[in-house]
Amino acid sequence: MVLTVAEKLSKEPKIWRKQLVVTLIMVLVLGWSLSAIKLNTGGSSGLTVARNIFKGLLTPTPSLLLNFSSNGVAYLLLETICIAFLGTLVGAVVAVPISFLSASNIVPSYIAIVGRVVIMAIRTIPAFVYGLMFIMVTGPGPFAGLLTMSLASVGMLSKMFIETIEDLDKGIIESLDAAGCTLFQKIRYGIIPQLSASFMSTLIYRFDMNLRDATVLGLVGAGGIGAPLIFAMSSYRWSDAGAVLVGLILLVLFVEWFSNKLRKKLARG
Amino acid sequence: MNLYDRVFKPKKYTLENGKTVWEKRNRTPLILLVIVLMIMISIKITDFSLAVLIKRMKFFFVMLKDMFPPDGSYIPQIWKPLLDTIKMSLLGSFIGAIACIPFSILSSTNLVHAKAITAFFKVFFSVVRTLPTLVAALIATYIFGLGTLAGTVAIAVFTFAYCGKILYESIETCSMGSFEALEALGCGKPSAIRYAIVPQVLPSYLSTVLFCFEGNVRYASILGYVGAGGLGLILNEKIGWREYGKVGMILIALFLTVATIESLSQYLRSKLV
Amino acid sequence: MFEFIDVHKVYPNGTIGLKDINLHVDDGEFVAVIGRSGAGKSTLIRAINKMHPITSGKLLVNEIDVGSLEGKELRKLRRSIGMIFQSFNLVTRTSVIRNVLTSSVPDLPLWRSIFGVFSQADKIKALEALDKVGILEKAYDRVDQLSGGQQQRVALARTLAQNPNIILADEPVAALDPVTAKQVMDDFKRINSELGITVIINIHHVELALEYADRIIGIKRAHIVYDGPSRHVDAKVLSSIYGDGDDESV
Repeated sequence: MVLTVAEKLSKEPKIWRKQLVVTLIMVLVLGWSLSAIKLNTGGSSGLTVARNIFKGLLTPTPSLLLNFSSNGVAYLLLETICIAFLGTLVGAVVAVPISFLSASNIVPSYIAIVGRVVIMAIRTIPAFVYGLMFIMVTGPGPFAGLLTMSLASVGMLSKMFIETIEDLDKGIIESLDAAGCTLFQKIRYGIIPQLSASFMSTLIYRFDMNLRDATVLGLVGAGGIGAPLIFAMSSYRWSDAGAVLVGLILLVLFVEWFSNKLRKKLARG
Repeated sequence: MNLYDRVFKPKKYTLENGKTVWEKRNRTPLILLVIVLMIMISIKITDFSLAVLIKRMKFFFVMLKDMFPPDGSYIPQIWKPLLDTIKMSLLGSFIGAIACIPFSILSSTNLVHAKAITAFFKVFFSVVRTLPTLVAALIATYIFGLGTLAGTVAIAVFTFAYCGKILYESIETCSMGSFEALEALGCGKPSAIRYAIVPQVLPSYLSTVLFCFEGNVRYASILGYVGAGGLGLILNEKIGWREYGKVGMILIALFLTVATIESLSQYLRSKLV
Repeated sequence: MFEFIDVHKVYPNGTIGLKDINLHVDDGEFVAVIGRSGAGKSTLIRAINKMHPITSGKLLVNEIDVGSLEGKELRKLRRSIGMIFQSFNLVTRTSVIRNVLTSSVPDLPLWRSIFGVFSQADKIKALEALDKVGILEKAYDRVDQLSGGQQQRVALARTLAQNPNIILADEPVAALDPVTAKQVMDDFKRINSELGITVIINIHHVELALEYADRIIGIKRAHIVYDGPSRHVDAKVLSSIYGDGDDESV
């Protein structure tokens, strides 16, 4: 079957048409979204604000930064950590049973689908809505913030838990079975060891994210570092705002570094 | 021997044939202790109280109940903010995804050999990533004024940091063989990157951008809370006025939108790999 | 042609890569470089297109002093030198023809280069190169669907499409089974005799080297210890190249 070069050239798959269509669609979609932007004449005043914020970042108010009283940045950062920490734990307590109920290798598929829809619904509701709702339950303050964080975590925690559960190696359970173990022993020695390292890693990852999202809570009055930030900014006290931001950035960088090390250790043992 | 082993000496086992084995003491009690301590401190600082929770949890569900049945007549007013939310996420994701490319290239140690440069840009990405999107949006409203521009900028910043990190990580794990071949036949570095590196990272890059866009739609709805446009604005209003029927409607609209976008995105991503 | 004159190469960490290299290769020759791993074969070959620059001495390629070349000039030189690698170094996710077309990239105007739009002439050149190595029918297949031998031929086609006058091959058949290895070596021989391209191959299959090459260069511990026709290579020569002898420890 001898082919000439010319014949082969004519058989070239014409993907350029598909590429053109895709590009066209993208351009149209982007053009449409541009219509949403009203270019405010932020102009010169905007630039001044930006410069001020930048200056404030570079000259944070030391008294605010190092203040350990309940109004100080340091205390509030600690409060934010605690909110994130407990929030992640409570979120895990809620997420674990839901995840098991949504895993297709544990429960029949119709239950699993219901479980996933519930998780999706929980995930869609924005965090600040939960915040406002929980404030009605517990009053403003870090408690409400903690509860908000827990529900907000359920979405991601469940997704990752489900992945881990569905990846379970049945072989190990089989071998325990062959060795004559009871159901409890199979769960304790077969399932839990497989899951725990991955669960811990997921929890740590989510804690990291919750720390960042916990700033949101301050904005709705649910505790944490968001409140002083917005106060400082609305009164144009840029150095104070800078203090808060610097504290926040340092904290998140540190926690991220620490959690990365921890997760590496969990992965490699 | 680290500190723990010095305090709690490893246990010695002697086998029948005379060999000895040292078993390090289990770390778990220490870890559990630390965790319990952390929990106790956190409970104190956050005023966590199981009693309060149990007593007043029903209010939560009361509000939830009030959201259904949702107020259908409110739908027409939801359209514009909903579309605004989608547009903000689209544009913001696009800008962020494109903007991160040059920075990611400059962070990749296999493309740029000056360690100072790559380290600098990696740290830059980390710092930008620490900024919670809402805080970025808040700052953006001060610089750009209230409205959708601020929201778009905030989303662009987040996408920039998120996609940038994943992009440079994937560039660094690229196979450099074809890059070397192209340099050997006379391509300059930019061409070699375009023809050897880009084809390798493109599928996972597009997949990441789509995934980021999914999440951004949900974020965009939050941004309205600080006045950066989109659904968050009306959501906040209606909650404040306790018009829970309308709140329920907004949430349902949001849910349906996110569900559609996520399935579309999942479908597209599966075709990429 | 290329010529090494008193060439030395010392790596930044102090290892000596090449020492006292004096070598002259004319156009149209088929040379095989043999020696133990780490002896300096790779360094020798990669010095020719300045992938591993030399630290002293003079290296002339096609009468041009390589040491003085940088940037655009260097790229121009590399256009006329083709390189084949042990691990093929193809972009596995794309099609065979796109890989071969990359050989035209350095000459493309900017807009064509960015969008990857190649002219008809370039495409025909690529297809003809594929035809010369006998895999025209695979032109639009994805590279990762091909066998090792076929992939090496794609790499060869990519090099041929450059129209080089020298081909450098670094262990081109090391990753291939014996039958495929012979096929690829046949291709090299054919290219050398039909197109007159100078070929220099690094190889550790001594039998293949002796069978295909006219001239053998033996390298041991960064020196050239043998340089002569392949028919004169016997067991004594081989042991001087590969043996330990009474040398210093590594």
